[in-house]
Amino acid sequence: MLAFLLRRLGYLIFVVWGVGFAAFFISHVVPADPAAAALGSNARPAQIEAYRHKYGLDLPAPEQYVRYMVDLFKGDLGNSLRTQRPILSDLRDFFPATFELTLGAMAFAVLLGLPMGIIAALYQDRALDLVVRTLALVGGATPVYWLAILALELFHSRLGWLPGPGELNPYLLEPHRVTGMMVVDAAIAGNWQVFVSALRHLVLPAAVLGAFSTALVARMVRSAMLEVLSQDYVRTARAKGLAGRVVVFKHALRNAALPVLTVMGSLLGSLLTGAVLTETIFSWPGIGSYATSSAIGLDFPAVMGVTLVAGLAYSLINLLVDVLYAVFDPRITYA
Amino acid sequence: MARLRLTWMLLATLAVGLFSFGAAQPAQQQTLVIGGDWTDLITLDPGVAYEFSSTPIDDNIYQRLVEFQGTDLSHVVPGLASSWDIASTADGGTTITFHLKDATFSTGRPVTAQDVVWSFDRVIHINGPSAFLFTDVAGMKVGSTVALDDKTVQLTLPKGVNPQIILNMLTFNIGGIMDATEVKQHVQGDDYGQHWLNDHSAGSGPYMLDRWDRGSQVVLVANPKYPDPPSIKRIILRYMQESNAQRAAITSGEIDVAYNFTPDAFKQAESNPDLKTLKTDTFQMAYLGMNSGPGAPFADNRVRDAVRYAIDQDGIINDLLAGLGRKMQTIIPYGLMGADTTQYYTHDIEKAKQLMAAAGKSGGMTVEFLIATGACSGGVPCADLAAKIQSDLAKIGITTNIKQTTSAQLYTIYRQQAAQLVLAAWSPDYPDPNGNASPLADYNAKSLAWRNVWNDAQGTKLATEAAVSTDPAQRKDLYAQLTKYVAQNGPYAILYQPYVPIVTTAKVQGFARSAQGDVDYAAISKLP
Repeated sequence: MLAFLLRRLGYLIFVVWGVGFAAFFISHVVPADPAAAALGSNARPAQIEAYRHKYGLDLPAPEQYVRYMVDLFKGDLGNSLRTQRPILSDLRDFFPATFELTLGAMAFAVLLGLPMGIIAALYQDRALDLVVRTLALVGGATPVYWLAILALELFHSRLGWLPGPGELNPYLLEPHRVTGMMVVDAAIAGNWQVFVSALRHLVLPAAVLGAFSTALVARMVRSAMLEVLSQDYVRTARAKGLAGRVVVFKHALRNAALPVLTVMGSLLGSLLTGAVLTETIFSWPGIGSYATSSAIGLDFPAVMGVTLVAGLAYSLINLLVDVLYAVFDPRITYA
Repeated sequence: MARLRLTWMLLATLAVGLFSFGAAQPAQQQTLVIGGDWTDLITLDPGVAYEFSSTPIDDNIYQRLVEFQGTDLSHVVPGLASSWDIASTADGGTTITFHLKDATFSTGRPVTAQDVVWSFDRVIHINGPSAFLFTDVAGMKVGSTVALDDKTVQLTLPKGVNPQIILNMLTFNIGGIMDATEVKQHVQGDDYGQHWLNDHSAGSGPYMLDRWDRGSQVVLVANPKYPDPPSIKRIILRYMQESNAQRAAITSGEIDVAYNFTPDAFKQAESNPDLKTLKTDTFQMAYLGMNSGPGAPFADNRVRDAVRYAIDQDGIINDLLAGLGRKMQTIIPYGLMGADTTQYYTHDIEKAKQLMAAAGKSGGMTVEFLIATGACSGGVPCADLAAKIQSDLAKIGITTNIKQTTSAQLYTIYRQQAAQLVLAAWSPDYPDPNGNASPLADYNAKSLAWRNVWNDAQGTKLATEAAVSTDPAQRKDLYAQLTKYVAQNGPYAILYQPYVPIVTTAKVQGFARSAQGDVDYAAISKLP
């Protein structure tokens, strides 16, 4: 297991390096000038030259790359051209909100997708199954930005059930920042009012972001359960006279968990990318909003930083999924 | 089973709480929440900030020596200076001597002439994006500003710099005065306190910076040392990029003011009794830039004239902007001294065709048409605006191949004089006609005239003369000549001067936005 972990961590470095290399060169072949973007449309040529020189943008691309890599190994992602701050502190500011949103979306996927899948499997080809399958189809095929606008219009503007964009009711004072996740920080501060407001603000964006995942989880659970339910040991368990609940949850679900786990691992990765659109529409101050404004502002160091962090997160999640395999299925061992 | 029942009860309680717990709203009447796209914010340091979103914030934190009052941008009024004298120097330059009134920074220290000197010299030392206003436009150096005593400060300007223009310029946030003693305590290396000023403030205005959560909000609180306490104690600028999000939030009362309604949404808001709509002014102009260099597609002024006759300005303003714009045909817009609102052209396709024929282009021509992604001036999508122009120009035989890039990329190409036809917007750096005349008419200013390769001796001469003239009547006359000349000979087809649509809830009183984007937060109040 240890050898496996070490080997995978070694691969991980290569993957992240590859992602970073690609991001760097793509951003440098784009025929656009970050200096011009940072200084605005009225800037004079002399100002732009001075800026390019100050940030080393006038150096040849390979030299800029070497400099970047040297700094990277020292743990320095450089400074953002737009916010003028170290990218690490920008990421530290923006990442927790995305993490919170992703967790929320994941919670939706599990809490909703799992029972949906089980019900569909138990009532195969009957009305309930059809409803779940239709919902899964719609949820999986709806673009997230469209769903976001629709959900905002319906549940916020028309029905008024849930609050609109943002993380918190603006009239409330933010809790002291500990984790950067509003709900968690409010809980730590013991502020019930802020906690409820933060949680309510989380519901819509998390549901929208999690819609696709919910659909996928429901479908995976359904097909995995169907397969398992037709196995001999399930029939045996039923024949032994075990309660239906025990058969379903103890015997079937546990064995159906493996494919579901695979899906959830890759979903976490896609949630990070889906967050770009969801965060923009819901004014969510996370890494997705940060990536959007960095890309629009041609803030290449920031874009690089986001890419590297996303690549790292994706790789780590995949690794975690592989490790969890062994936990769920004792037949799997890693050498 | 009991455990299961308990779980269900807890879940049910939580659900009820989530859907029914309307947050109590303390001090709501003293808090103003403004939703807008503030993603252009880089810094709140008044000596460095040069973004659209930073100016209105800084202006409420840092007082300037001279200011504009409300939305009137034609007269400077006393700010930190109660009065000022302008005198000539022996070598043809001028001095402006400012007499400071008694004022206190939010730190409790009095505002002195030394603070003014330090604040101005600091801008020149840092040499940020806005510093050219001091160094190039005003010809200032370190040492140009001198404290004569604690309450008197003198600014010396070189020959050829018009003190009237400089007074207008000093109203901008670059002229903001900060507590030198305080900022000096927070200097890191040679940053002149820039880093510290991103999360703190040291001004004498009605508000001070409380916190800036990047990507989320900027929060200002009332300055307790300000003599005239404002009604709104807390201003929150919430980042909301999406027009839809702003619409949703203002309808539910989560925000009080929305900055980025689309023209369509604005039209709907006009009939909503819970909302107020404001068409606020801006000096911005949307225009077509035509490359007029030798051998370029628009080198012949008759072709440029043909374009100006071919463009259907009314159609653009009524249909695309839903009326949120005014017709402009030359380079000094409504609101500035010397504004020229003459209609030099009518929408006349026949006339345009004749001009094309006279220029030897009756067989038509093909040009590349550079436009930006996203929304153009006035909130209309650039692609829609470009499509309308494309169809207008097709009627006179000009085929345009639209090339859409990010705005940053567009300006990179444009600056290299490499655009053939470009759809862009311009607003002056300071509210003086010279803020338009010089960049748009003087090739040597290396700005728009240069980018469109329009090197015209008459344009340069008129712009330069008007810039240095200190006689208001003469200046006005020179600008009248210049605007007419550029309208008929320049490299532009001006499209419109947009309004900036702002929507507030009906409770908000006294909200006004000047053409420069300034909002006096202290003048705002909220009904219960």
